[in-house]
Amino acid sequence: MGMIIRGFKNAFRNGIRSFAVIIILAISIGMALVMLVAMKAVEAKITSVKASVGNVVTISPAGAQGFEGGGTPLTGTQLKDVSSITHVSKVTETLEDRVSTTGSSTGSGFGGGTSGTTSLSSAINPGTLGQRFNGGSSSNQTLPTNFSLPIEIMGTNDLSTTQALGNVSQFKITSGQAFDATSNNNEALIGSGLATKNNLSVGGTFTAYDTTIKVDGIFDTGTEFSNGMVVMPLASVQRLSAQSDQISSATVQVDSVDQVTAVATAIKNKLGSAADVTSSIDAANNSLAPLENVKNISMYSLIGALVAGAVIIFLIMVMIVRERRQEIGVLKAIGASNAMVVGQFMSESMILALLGSIIGALIGFALANPILKMLVNNASSSASTAVRGAGGGGFARAFRGATSGFQNSLQSLHGAVGTSLILYAVLAAVAIAILGSAIPAFIISKIRPAEVMRAE
Amino acid sequence: MIITKGLSKEFTSGDHKVKAVNNISFEMPEGIFAAILGKSGSGKSTLLSLLGALDKPTAGSIEVDGIKINELSDRKLIKYRRDKIGFVFQNYSLIHNLNALENVCLPMEFAGVGAAERKERAEKLLEEVGLTEDKFHRRPARLSGGEQQRVAIARALANKPKLILADEPTGNLDSKTGQVIIDLLHELAKTEKTTILAVTHDIGIARQAKVIFKLQDGTLVE
Repeated sequence: MGMIIRGFKNAFRNGIRSFAVIIILAISIGMALVMLVAMKAVEAKITSVKASVGNVVTISPAGAQGFEGGGTPLTGTQLKDVSSITHVSKVTETLEDRVSTTGSSTGSGFGGGTSGTTSLSSAINPGTLGQRFNGGSSSNQTLPTNFSLPIEIMGTNDLSTTQALGNVSQFKITSGQAFDATSNNNEALIGSGLATKNNLSVGGTFTAYDTTIKVDGIFDTGTEFSNGMVVMPLASVQRLSAQSDQISSATVQVDSVDQVTAVATAIKNKLGSAADVTSSIDAANNSLAPLENVKNISMYSLIGALVAGAVIIFLIMVMIVRERRQEIGVLKAIGASNAMVVGQFMSESMILALLGSIIGALIGFALANPILKMLVNNASSSASTAVRGAGGGGFARAFRGATSGFQNSLQSLHGAVGTSLILYAVLAAVAIAILGSAIPAFIISKIRPAEVMRAE
Repeated sequence: MIITKGLSKEFTSGDHKVKAVNNISFEMPEGIFAAILGKSGSGKSTLLSLLGALDKPTAGSIEVDGIKINELSDRKLIKYRRDKIGFVFQNYSLIHNLNALENVCLPMEFAGVGAAERKERAEKLLEEVGLTEDKFHRRPARLSGGEQQRVAIARALANKPKLILADEPTGNLDSKTGQVIIDLLHELAKTEKTTILAVTHDIGIARQAKVIFKLQDGTLVE
């Protein structure tokens, strides 16, 4: 205890020097804390974005994007190889088709679908966009009287993966129940919009591909487009649309976000030029690159600030030890052990570092978020914010939806500045005091009392 | 009390070696005031360092109060200094930012003595060396040379040492004050039953000692 009290008293022997050291340490520790807060905030954001984007790889036929582009459909045989790739936990296969309302002017095969027809009428109002998709270029062009947009039918072997449905916020069966997606039955789930438009309820039937299809359930996705769809077992759609073993897109679930890139590469290697393979992580990584830079800058700055603090303490303690060489010799002569003398000097450096850390914590509190904002703004303004979706039509919409708010959310990035900051400040002070005192402590241990007496 | 046999200490100075202490053998009984007399550079302080275990001899042996100190480990040497030896330096060597009482308490703190006991003994010792109570809480800068040396002597007595080694205890004092200090050392040798070995170049002071050892060029001549 006496050693600590003496260390405390000694810390203020030279008031001006101690004040200067405390201020410099405060700046160093303050900057370290600011960088720590920034790094943790950015890390949390990166993790959150990656988690929200998901650990999914999407496969679609090369050159195709939904019902646009060209290319040759993939096959189930091709996708069997994908399931065997390490870290692949699930492969969901989908086949999308479009069917025309029987008797409508659109005719079968409209909009990229097969020759199928249905008794269902589309729940979606054509509007201006519908006119444009019908080949019209101006809003003045009128539609034929019996025009009806085609109805999308999606076949899937897994109802839990709904990315192909598009930019949906949910896939909720509001009445009835799901079918067995691995079956080959003539059954379907229909969107709530479609059900309402066609007065269908659970247990009801409609026709498609000249076949009676039973409604097992009605779903709601939160979007008008997807609520106008029909979802059926994959094998059923393949059979009814005469597209045996064909797949228009596949969604691969990876067991870990960290493995997504590796799995995507493995899939590309397996499927070669037959498929376009995209992962949400690749696109997310582009958007996250500025944040990764901020994280790295923060980390190096944090280390630099702590090292600077340790160097400051080291230089000051070496100076103090040299100044008090004789005093150290006297202390040893009157019975102090090396440990006692080193302990006294370490108390002195610890007091200086702790006082610096208190002021540094206040600096951290005040500057953490302003500096974080400045770092993020500088980083994100210089990075490309273009995001391109690829693959199946649903994926592009989903990803653009997920990341369209990303750039805006950066502006609201906020560092957690709370009582934990004080704990970090204290830990920083302890680390700096120990590191900075190590060599001076060694010097102290080598001072021989007799040398000091001779020097007198 | 003190027995030395063939005690030598060599230092390397540039290319050549210097024998500061050369083959010194003597015996000194306990409870007396003894002096080591010699000119500057005669090896007095080196001999004192060796007897106080502040340094290790190059050759020979030292036995103090039955302890062969040249055979002790570094850790045991610290304990030996703490328990058996008290030092009085020429320039007092008090700790500047501690007051008189705190300076005297220091060796006791290193020896693990409790705070209350330390304070009580420190006050008693300061009274014994003649420092008035109003000066107990003064720092060395506010004490005269003589007062500082009194505090240094009190500090040297803190752990009830068997041997006090005083290196030119009056070197920085005027003759009157110096005599006061020497008288104090004589008195304490009797009352505290402590052996006092003072190094001096002043023959007048040396003559007041019961035993005089004369050093010349590191060798004992008398």
